[in-house]
Amino acid sequence: MGRLHAEEMILNMGPQHPSTHGVLRLKLTTDGEIVSKIEPVIGYLHRSFEKHAENLEYQMVTPFTGRCDYLAAMGSEHGYAMAVEKMLGIELPERVEYLRVIFAELQRIASHLVAVGTFGLDVGAITPFIYCFRERELILDLFEMASGGRLLYNYIWIGGLAHDIPPGFVEKAYEFLDAFDKRVDEYNQILTGNKIFVERAADIGVMTPEVAINYGVTGPSLRASGVNIDIRRTQPYSIYDRFDFDVPLGEGLQGTVGDSWDRYYVRVLEMRESAKIVRQALEQLPVEGDVQAAVPRRIKPPVGEIYFRSENPRGELGYYIVSDGKNIPARVKMRSPAFSNLSVINEIGQGWMISDVIAILGSLDIVLGEIDR
Amino acid sequence: MIQSLANWILSFDILSGLGSSLVWGLSLFIVAALIFVFVAVNAIVLVYVERKVSAFMQVRLGPMRVGKFGVLQTVADALKLLQKEDIIPEKADKVLFTIGPWTILVASVATFAAIPFSDTLLAANMNIGLFYVISISSIVVLGIVMAGWASNNKWSLYGAMRSAAQIISYEIPVGITLVAVVAVVGSLNLQTIIQSQGGVGNLFHWIPIPLPNWYIFHSPFLFLAAFVYMIGATAEINRTPFDIPESESELVAGFMTEFSGLRWALFFLSEYANATLVAFLVSIVFLGGWQSPFASYSGAQAALLVISLVAIMWTVFVKVKIGRLSMYPLGISILTTMAAWLFPGFAIWLASPGLFWIVLKAASIIFLLMWFRWTFPRLRVDQLMYVSWKVILPISLINLMGVAVWMWLSGEIQF
Repeated sequence: MGRLHAEEMILNMGPQHPSTHGVLRLKLTTDGEIVSKIEPVIGYLHRSFEKHAENLEYQMVTPFTGRCDYLAAMGSEHGYAMAVEKMLGIELPERVEYLRVIFAELQRIASHLVAVGTFGLDVGAITPFIYCFRERELILDLFEMASGGRLLYNYIWIGGLAHDIPPGFVEKAYEFLDAFDKRVDEYNQILTGNKIFVERAADIGVMTPEVAINYGVTGPSLRASGVNIDIRRTQPYSIYDRFDFDVPLGEGLQGTVGDSWDRYYVRVLEMRESAKIVRQALEQLPVEGDVQAAVPRRIKPPVGEIYFRSENPRGELGYYIVSDGKNIPARVKMRSPAFSNLSVINEIGQGWMISDVIAILGSLDIVLGEIDR
Repeated sequence: MIQSLANWILSFDILSGLGSSLVWGLSLFIVAALIFVFVAVNAIVLVYVERKVSAFMQVRLGPMRVGKFGVLQTVADALKLLQKEDIIPEKADKVLFTIGPWTILVASVATFAAIPFSDTLLAANMNIGLFYVISISSIVVLGIVMAGWASNNKWSLYGAMRSAAQIISYEIPVGITLVAVVAVVGSLNLQTIIQSQGGVGNLFHWIPIPLPNWYIFHSPFLFLAAFVYMIGATAEINRTPFDIPESESELVAGFMTEFSGLRWALFFLSEYANATLVAFLVSIVFLGGWQSPFASYSGAQAALLVISLVAIMWTVFVKVKIGRLSMYPLGISILTTMAAWLFPGFAIWLASPGLFWIVLKAASIIFLLMWFRWTFPRLRVDQLMYVSWKVILPISLINLMGVAVWMWLSGEIQF
């Protein structure tokens, strides 16, 4: 059946818009409610991270990495620290590795909680968002205990950590993990199986594995399309090869593989897996160890370059660092996952309605701080 | 009410010199003012209640600072809105922009003229009360389109267009559902509709469960109709899951985007007025209006005993998490039962019709609407139309026929 065509209208969504997850501007070409073209306009949150990095010593770049992906600052710091350590050839104490994994995975849970909650918000469910933030608070409390910060930490240093964890941290972490599994059930009850939610998310914005790979989509959004790539599993860095965890893939339980519902649900499942990793890491955590034993006095990597990738909550976070032998990096390039994930929106969002474009954007889980850097 | 007010004014010796038409006009004005005050106060209370209800559902406290438990928060907010600068966008259509909010407000306030709050307390006892309410409340869509178009903003336009499509689509099934009730009563007069729902009878006339003679228990068809009406009405007043016209995560604020200050407050006022109207209509048409659910005072005692027994069993066997909130139903039912058995006067009062009952029913419906709003996601605009035209409309048409057949089979009407 043919559709009536009306005059096309350009609709500017953002940069001030409640559902663009920051200051993103989407130029929508609309035909009535149907969107025929989506053009993301980025750069409203550009803070020249890479240029800054070229003028700061290696250890001074660490806090800036956290400000890129501000919802997963621990993950960004972890990736950067590992990249520089690899250039320097530093061997880390066991305790540092375990603590880093604990913080990175807690950060993954916190970040996915925001993703799941705001996706609910994007399709109109307000309450799950608050529920997710309730649990995120508990994680932030843990971070605050360790680092003093709740959003930006500067906790994972090159060669170690800023501080050791305070007494009582492990017990509190166990407390959180014990409560968390039931809380995930709560999200499933209020959101995942909700008929209206399924109607809004299933079969919407289907991303085939080919499209995902061609656009360089990574992370949960890629795995939701059924592609089994998780750098923690395929190229284990840090000590991820010691843990037993599953890599959830999109199965199209409510619709097609790779739809918005899958992207949402993969994140819900990943939170459980991360909780599993945190539990194992807490159990294996060495009791003794100086977390600053391996922190170098002067950081002067040998001349050369490195590309180091790690699995951020949003996907593959890569750092390309060029060293010319000085204590200041010659070039730092950040391969931000959300940037590539956003680029696919025109491909998978075309032909859907305005409301769907918002749902698709929410399911990609972007952070503008990381896209614009 | 207007006539009795006029008579009361004329009963004073000093005032009897006034012409009867002047007194009539004065009474009209007073009643209209009373309705407006009711709507305004009601909105202020409901905004507070909604914020508190949503807070309880979201594990937070809600407003706590202004006044004890934040009760004055909405008053403060209203005062703030009144003081705000009156902004009309430069490229807006100034006339329509000004008229739009008032149109909506007038339409939603005017409907209350026909709502009976008790057997005597109503502004105008119209023989076409239900028809009047439906038709006047339709004017709201006109105001929304005016506001959306006049804003000269694409988001507002989207909101207005969605709203127009939605309200018009849902009016049809809602109207047909109400017609099913009118077919049973044989009158459009809201008082007649309520009066015919008194007493206690069997569920669906033949299942021996004693229930009030409300139309929701009249037949399986009207039982279904009550739910269809609730769904349709939720859509008509633009509340979640049908809050597509003002869906904040998509259209910023829909047709309200460009409005601020007093004009925005008017939208808010009419939104809550409409929600209240729907709640009252549901309680009038399906839940017996100001009729008491109990036929006699001994019936009230027995029914309350059953209710509190059920509440006790529910608490014991379903293993409700004992918390402050979950104990309220149990505590209230047990206390009411004890009061009804100890003080026959209380039981008699419970069994008599009155303002208390319609307010209680309407409040429950409003709570239900809030519950919807804070738990459900939002439908998409085409899914909304699908629900209206392909699900609810056929059901309401079948309902109408079903009610007719039921009436014929049960011998309520003869040919």
